[in-house]
Amino acid sequence: MTFFRNSAEMLSAFLGVIGRLTIFCLIAAMLYEVVARYAFGAPTLWAFDISYMLNGSIFLLGAAYSLREDAHVRIDFLSQKFPLRVQQLLNGLIYLLVMAPIFGAFTWVAGSKAYKAFASGEVEAVSPWAPLVWPFYAVIAIGLLAFALQFVLEAIKYLSGEKCPGGTDAELQDLES
Amino acid sequence: MTPLLMFAALFVLVFAGIPVAFSLIIIAVGFGYTVFGDLIFLQLYGPLLHTASNFVLAAIPLFIFMGAVLERSGIAKRLFFALQLWLGGAPGGLALSTIAMCAIFAAASGVVGAVEIVVGLMAIPAMMKAKYKNDLIAGTICAGGSLGTIIPPSVIVVVYASIAQLSIGQLFAASILPGLLMVLFFVGYILFRSVRNPADAPPLPPEERSMPLPEKLKITFTALVPPLALIGMVLGSLLMGAASATEAAAVGAAGTLILTMLFRELNLKLLMDSLGVTLRITAMIMLIVAGGTMFTSIFAVTGGGNLVRDTVETIGYGNAGIITFFLLVVFFAGFVLDWVSIVLIFIPIFAPIVRSAGIDPIWFAMMVLVVIQTSYLTPPMAPSIFYLRSIAPRSMTYGQMYRGVLPFVGAQMLVLLVIILFPAIATWLPSILVGL
Amino acid sequence: AAEVEWKMTAAIGEGSFLYQNFMERFAKNVGMITQDRVEIQPFGAGVLAPAFKAFEAVQDGIVEAGHSTPSYLVNQDPTNAIFASFPGGMSPEATMHWVYEGGGEKMLQDFRRADMGLHSLVVGIGTSEIMAHSNVKIQTIEDLKGVKYRTSGAFAAVLQEEFGGVPTVVPGNEIYTLLQRKGVDAIEWSTPGANISEGFHEVAPYMIMPGVHQPSFLWEVFVKQETWDALPGDLQNLITAAAKLSTYESFTRFGDSDIKAMAQFRDTKVEVVLMDRDASEGIREAGRNWARAKAASLAEGGNTRMQEVLDSYLAYQADWAANSSYLVRDSAE
Ligand code: NA
Ligand code: NA
Repeated sequence: MTFFRNSAEMLSAFLGVIGRLTIFCLIAAMLYEVVARYAFGAPTLWAFDISYMLNGSIFLLGAAYSLREDAHVRIDFLSQKFPLRVQQLLNGLIYLLVMAPIFGAFTWVAGSKAYKAFASGEVEAVSPWAPLVWPFYAVIAIGLLAFALQFVLEAIKYLSGEKCPGGTDAELQDLES
Repeated sequence: MTPLLMFAALFVLVFAGIPVAFSLIIIAVGFGYTVFGDLIFLQLYGPLLHTASNFVLAAIPLFIFMGAVLERSGIAKRLFFALQLWLGGAPGGLALSTIAMCAIFAAASGVVGAVEIVVGLMAIPAMMKAKYKNDLIAGTICAGGSLGTIIPPSVIVVVYASIAQLSIGQLFAASILPGLLMVLFFVGYILFRSVRNPADAPPLPPEERSMPLPEKLKITFTALVPPLALIGMVLGSLLMGAASATEAAAVGAAGTLILTMLFRELNLKLLMDSLGVTLRITAMIMLIVAGGTMFTSIFAVTGGGNLVRDTVETIGYGNAGIITFFLLVVFFAGFVLDWVSIVLIFIPIFAPIVRSAGIDPIWFAMMVLVVIQTSYLTPPMAPSIFYLRSIAPRSMTYGQMYRGVLPFVGAQMLVLLVIILFPAIATWLPSILVGL
Repeated sequence: AAEVEWKMTAAIGEGSFLYQNFMERFAKNVGMITQDRVEIQPFGAGVLAPAFKAFEAVQDGIVEAGHSTPSYLVNQDPTNAIFASFPGGMSPEATMHWVYEGGGEKMLQDFRRADMGLHSLVVGIGTSEIMAHSNVKIQTIEDLKGVKYRTSGAFAAVLQEEFGGVPTVVPGNEIYTLLQRKGVDAIEWSTPGANISEGFHEVAPYMIMPGVHQPSFLWEVFVKQETWDALPGDLQNLITAAAKLSTYESFTRFGDSDIKAMAQFRDTKVEVVLMDRDASEGIREAGRNWARAKAASLAEGGNTRMQEVLDSYLAYQADWAANSSYLVRDSAE
């Protein structure tokens, strides 16, 4: 159990670090394209594909991390009136029995799509650069896997009562003090 | 029947406090199973991949990163300090400068969440410190953020235009005057309220804003240069044609880093914190878009489109009836759907009917776009409020947020009324700016 | 209820001219000709499956039918470029003849069945596109040098390798803005009838003709081969007839709206530029050489299909070119 918790936390933390670096790469790629096209009249063939792939990667690499930080908005003015234990059970059970299986299934689909793309050498459909798509598909699959595992982990935290839904501090929380 | 059941089930989950994105996905999977059976995950992987591969959405992390760095460096603080010096004594001064900032950032960015978070991260602390009422703060930030799409450039206008087969340029031109009018009405409300109830937006104590003029000018100059330079970079790269909207966002993000470095405020902690916030909020927004796209997909396949089409055929009250019905549909859909879903579901149905009824499609588009503006603010599914929630301290309650946005929704309705009564406010600029 | 009900996903957005003209027309014709024994429910791109995944969605069994163009498969297999039309390809009317009289559709069907397990029906053949809406005047081969040109596919390759142009990728909804602000010099999009509502002529002073980069285009509807084989023979015949009717009807609809649009363009201040004949023929020959080289390199690897299709195509084109001078042309020039 502890081993599972530690590995899942490590995976989402590790993907979080990669996700942060990916944001940098996105900025760099788009800047390069602007300069290349405007200053040198030589637009790249790759910037378009690279930037949507990087953004999609940021999305999925950050998915587990954002779940751990409880960053997904909920409308809780009604549910806050439930007893705390009810909130924890409701969220814990939905995470464990609904969300984790759903994203487990998405991971399976994404994984097989990535494998199929790898095996067939699938390239981007309409791009003149025509990059191989399997690395992007693989990042999606890995992000989804971490997301599914994180759902299990968060469910354990809710069910064991160590965390409560909506209890994590928001961005400007430090203003409170 | 099924499409309506989907909404009912969505409400139950959302109000039970299950995160919005997860609720959308659960409903899509559940109802989708009745159509696609075991293939449902294969089918819904499509919308997920579609969202993850969308070039336009790449502007989101870039603008959020820009906002996060601005907030953490001294740039935002100095700007608000300078604004306090000049406007702090005026009724609602900080709220007014927030709206102004939003309008300016809206001219640099095309996504609601981005404008709201960039300005919100700067303005919320300033207004809270000045003891503004929470509901006024929330309303100002949410309404200001919604300017992101009515003031060009705007992602939603682009998508609308491509679905309704209208010229993007004409639609941009058409939205300029309604956008400015909306700013005007927002300002009017803030002034009205602050003059009537000075305690809601207290003027700053004189000692916080009085100082010798040369010093005041110097502070203002140092404070204004970075944001103006940024807007110059973002707008400039857009207007010179050097960059698409997404690329301009990257120019803004890089520019923010450089300015922070020039002010010797760049350090590893600031950088890691900003990247962390960006990662978190981007994943949050993208998952709502993905969930909304999944929901839309299942809504369409269970007959949602036909439901709307059949209703139009049975009402039949001439053009006024058609317009009223369509706007009501968009308005109520806006309670529960985000704009991506609204445009994706309804515009393909409306556009041909509007055209064949001889209604000016640009005029109609502007009315729909203004009504969609309100959907950012109308509970329960109000993206503006979600973005605010993701950055606001918990002492600001949903109740305050919902109350706070209502007067601004009223202001948007006034803009709609003006467009209905005077179609020229939408159609005049396109006719002279992009004439044939 | 109908005997057969198909959900159909498109590679193009609902509400677009192409969608109405090809996809909705086909769905309507199928209902009419089969007397509602077959019902096809069309969905726009992105609703049930992403635009470029229509083929895959049908193969995966998510939807029964799909609507897309071979253009979206060119990167996977350049054989598709011959069916999709390419720089140097035939005129729209010659294409129509090749598809239905020269064995084109049959070859497409064999290709889809063998490589993708799909049964394909041609439902739309388009007219020529506008070569460019441009901020620079393009009349000769030299004029292409250094031009930042929003285009894709075979023409991007030919432009870059043969003529020193700079192909660039611009997302569909940013084309207007970047053209207006001169972020790109030239863009190609679609036919006159489709381009006029995009408003490119409002922001770029020149309109370059003829559209040799994309002389025609082709859209198909496909179902899994086993779905098709399971249909009773009479329904197979009726659906095939509905597809052919859709091709003919949409072709004249395209031409009609193009001519009307061209008349409207003439009333605006946009300048219609006709490329020099040796320039446009130069581009066509370069395009054919691109196709020949692709086919030869595939054949070397043991895949001779592109070579066979190209041989049939080029032979038909040569025949048409040599023997069509009897046809009366209603051209002003
Ligand atoms: Na904007
Ligand atoms: Na709403």
